[in-house]
Amino acid sequence: MSAQGTLQEKSEGPLIAVEDLHTYYGKSHILHGVSLTVGRGEVVGLLGRNGVGKSTTLKTIMGLIYPKQGRIMLEGKAVTSTPAHKLAKLGIAYVPEDRRIFRLLTVMENLRTGLDRPGVTDERKKELLDKVFSYFPVLGERRDQAGGTLSGGEQQMLAIARAMMLEPKIILLDEPTEGLMPRMVSQIRQIIDVLHSEGVAILLVEQNVPLTLEASQRVYIMEKGAIRHHAVSSELKIDDPVIKQYLGV
Amino acid sequence: MASVLTFFTEFPFELFVIQTLNGIVTGMILALIASGLTLIFGIMDVVNFAHGELFMLGAYMGVIVLSTTGSFWLALILATLIVALFGAAMQIVTLRPLVGRDPLTTILATFGVSLILQNYALWQFGPVARKINEPYTGHFNLFYLEYPWYRLVIAGLSAALIGGFWLFLKHGKFGIWIRATMQDRVMAQAMGIPVPLVHTAAFAIGAGMAAASGVLFGPLVGVNHTMGLDWVLKAFIVVVVGGMGNLGGSIAAAIFISLLESYAAIWVSPAQAVIVSFIVLIFTLLFRPTGLFVPTPK
Repeated sequence: MSAQGTLQEKSEGPLIAVEDLHTYYGKSHILHGVSLTVGRGEVVGLLGRNGVGKSTTLKTIMGLIYPKQGRIMLEGKAVTSTPAHKLAKLGIAYVPEDRRIFRLLTVMENLRTGLDRPGVTDERKKELLDKVFSYFPVLGERRDQAGGTLSGGEQQMLAIARAMMLEPKIILLDEPTEGLMPRMVSQIRQIIDVLHSEGVAILLVEQNVPLTLEASQRVYIMEKGAIRHHAVSSELKIDDPVIKQYLGV
Repeated sequence: MASVLTFFTEFPFELFVIQTLNGIVTGMILALIASGLTLIFGIMDVVNFAHGELFMLGAYMGVIVLSTTGSFWLALILATLIVALFGAAMQIVTLRPLVGRDPLTTILATFGVSLILQNYALWQFGPVARKINEPYTGHFNLFYLEYPWYRLVIAGLSAALIGGFWLFLKHGKFGIWIRATMQDRVMAQAMGIPVPLVHTAAFAIGAGMAAASGVLFGPLVGVNHTMGLDWVLKAFIVVVVGGMGNLGGSIAAAIFISLLESYAAIWVSPAQAVIVSFIVLIFTLLFRPTGLFVPTPK
């Protein structure tokens, strides 16, 4: 935990603090005591091979699976086992690995699932929509098209845009570049930077190690359901023995 | 060639027109019942065996309100609202605790509620059928028949209710919530949609639609405690033939099956004509198990 001293945590503590999380799918024990923190506006990478529990960590934070043990703190308050729809209101947004676009809803209706919240004025709705349509012009062009008719890359953009509609404090981003063309990958990379510059924190699960090291400030490396390594991204080289050991790159 | 000619010369054209009208009227009522049933199935994977009893309860509420106020329209509105509230309570008490359990448990729970409601109605109202007087008693001449206007009113009102429901689903914020929850419950929740509330509201809407059809259909048949049984069976057939959880499919299937039954009744007795819907059901399950009116089977 050599990186601890260089954390950019502010006095009020981290945005999200996960402590000793144990999650099960039925009888199989998936997370064996995961602990991590994400500061306000910080981009944190979560690396690891397939099946080590990265996605399960995100799902547990989002309240889609409840942990058997451990706790999740959001801005210093315990939110363990809070239903997902309440966490979404508290500022956590989720972009799942398989995107999970509402396929029969139009692009606009997909966005409205996050936009039609109490307390959002029509002006604010328009601002938010204009913003995502300027980042992702293709979504603006296809706003009346069913989500299921979009290409994989477009669906990924829609999934991110949909999460942005919630004006979240943190986005849990699960393998956003998986299976995308290089041009799309660089577009996703850009949007991560934009969100970072706007002060949105991101917990980024990725297989793409160079992209994660570039885009994030800190990384955690997972193996067998637990965090094995924690480092400042700029200090970790792509040919570091740690990367070789845990990721086999 | 001659036999084809005799078919056309002897074709009971007038009866055909009358039966088309009858088929559309029962089809619209059936569509109203089946829309609620398919909404409830589509959104929470619950096969609501108590749906026929919600229809029956609506008819009885109609009888009560009609006898105290004398207004059919007030009876229609109040019965719909009361049964919708009852549906919400029923969902919260019996189905919400079962979320995530084996679907069989929800079948048993709704079946239990249906038995309770049926026997409650028998205890409370007795075995003698009650009557709802139709709001319009006028007739018009259709060939040799005096056709009651009220039947056309039923078809029109059912169509209006279904159309209103369709618009609500298509454009309202809550409609988008319902459709999003139907497609992906987990993701809907992650987008901040209060899924438990959406489930309860959808159940209430389905119950209200069943109650409205009970009041509308009450004047054509007597109101008694078993009136839900026939209809719920037909509604289940319609929901399966239309594609489970597919609203448009259910409406199309309701009209399609009712028309087929009406036409069959030209040549066989109405009791035998019911067989047609089972034949359609069997062929659908054999050849298009995802539903007859689903564009591309998944």
